[in-house]
Amino acid sequence: MTGYQHLLLFGSVVVAACFLVIYFWPRILLFVYKRAILVKGFGEGPIPVNTLYTEPQAVFADPLRAAPASGSNLMTTGANRDTLLMAGWLDLRTGPQVLHVPDMGDRYYSVQLTDPSNNTNFAYVGKRVTGTEAGDYVISGPGWTGSVPQGMTRISSPNNSVLILGRTLVESDADLSAAYALSKQIHLRPLGG
Amino acid sequence: MTNRTYVFLTAVIGVICGFVIVRTLLSADSLTVRNDLVQGFFVGAGLGVVAVEILARIKATRINGWTTIFGCGLPGNGIFMRAACARIFPGPVNVPQEAMYWKTGVDGAGHTLSGERDFILHFPPGGLPPNDAFWSLTMADAKEHFVANPINRYSVGDRSGLAQNPDGSVDIYLQNTAPAGHQSNWLPAPAGRFNLWLRVYMPGAAILHGGYTVPPVIEARSNR
Repeated sequence: MTGYQHLLLFGSVVVAACFLVIYFWPRILLFVYKRAILVKGFGEGPIPVNTLYTEPQAVFADPLRAAPASGSNLMTTGANRDTLLMAGWLDLRTGPQVLHVPDMGDRYYSVQLTDPSNNTNFAYVGKRVTGTEAGDYVISGPGWTGSVPQGMTRISSPNNSVLILGRTLVESDADLSAAYALSKQIHLRPLGG
Repeated sequence: MTNRTYVFLTAVIGVICGFVIVRTLLSADSLTVRNDLVQGFFVGAGLGVVAVEILARIKATRINGWTTIFGCGLPGNGIFMRAACARIFPGPVNVPQEAMYWKTGVDGAGHTLSGERDFILHFPPGGLPPNDAFWSLTMADAKEHFVANPINRYSVGDRSGLAQNPDGSVDIYLQNTAPAGHQSNWLPAPAGRFNLWLRVYMPGAAILHGGYTVPPVIEARSNR
């Protein structure tokens, strides 16, 4: 090969690798979250797939606590003193999951459904989008053709993997236990299970 | 790792990549295919890291020292926007209609925020962030950890009982020691460098359409 051809090959590899990094950057970031949820957990062991984990009251109440000896501190970094967090990882290959939310009594909350392949949010359940009344939402993966039971709302995910992230507003220290009790009622179950 | 360390390392990567590219151009005749592939891959990956940093700075909005980025998390965003958002807010960030976030480590004049000096965030009358849910201003040290303080206050906002000035404006005191007579509006700072986070959930139209600007943090006249 001539020097010119070498430079052409070198340049092509450079450009390709550069775009790969840009393209995969959000996906790698979300992979870190996947590992934090399914492998490390947040101090109480790994979170099973298709389960919503709620930040414990003690963690919210003590912002200066040390990071958990085992597990990820991802959930509690970011200096958030506003909302109790919930997190989970969905695998919809075995069928849809039903997200149940209780009557939140006009309290701000949101459940953010994120496509981990590109870190964009394809749907929300929460005060802004669905209001604060109780409800059941069927989260189905691509290609699912079943029917949604009456009284439930379907949310179609573009991906069989979904990062689910919930936030419930805590009005004050005195309100923490009420916010926690409501957050714990937000949960997942398999459709037909 | 602080943000400054990260930016510094990114710059180092950029310089190394540039050096390898120049060397490659100068010695094109003695290259091998293996050189092309291996060095090309690493230089390209390094330039990718640099490119994400540049993209983040292009796509971000920086006004009065506050950095944010509009339009994150939306389905249909292109690869450059997605990378920029993941760099500015490393996580599954909300869509703007749900929440907007601003961060800063500098005051309106570009000086580093530090508890060695006293700062004020002054919202003019009616100038608190418009929203349909809540807003908050949170203090973090240079490593984004909460700051221990005698009154156990880590953020202020719509729920913290901020006092208004007689003209309806609101001053938030960002300093290491308690401001005499203004304890309700004190957000305790550490002794050293600090960062601020402003969150507005269900932001109002003025924010989403760009009409609202977050006021600058200003250095208070030295009074100690």
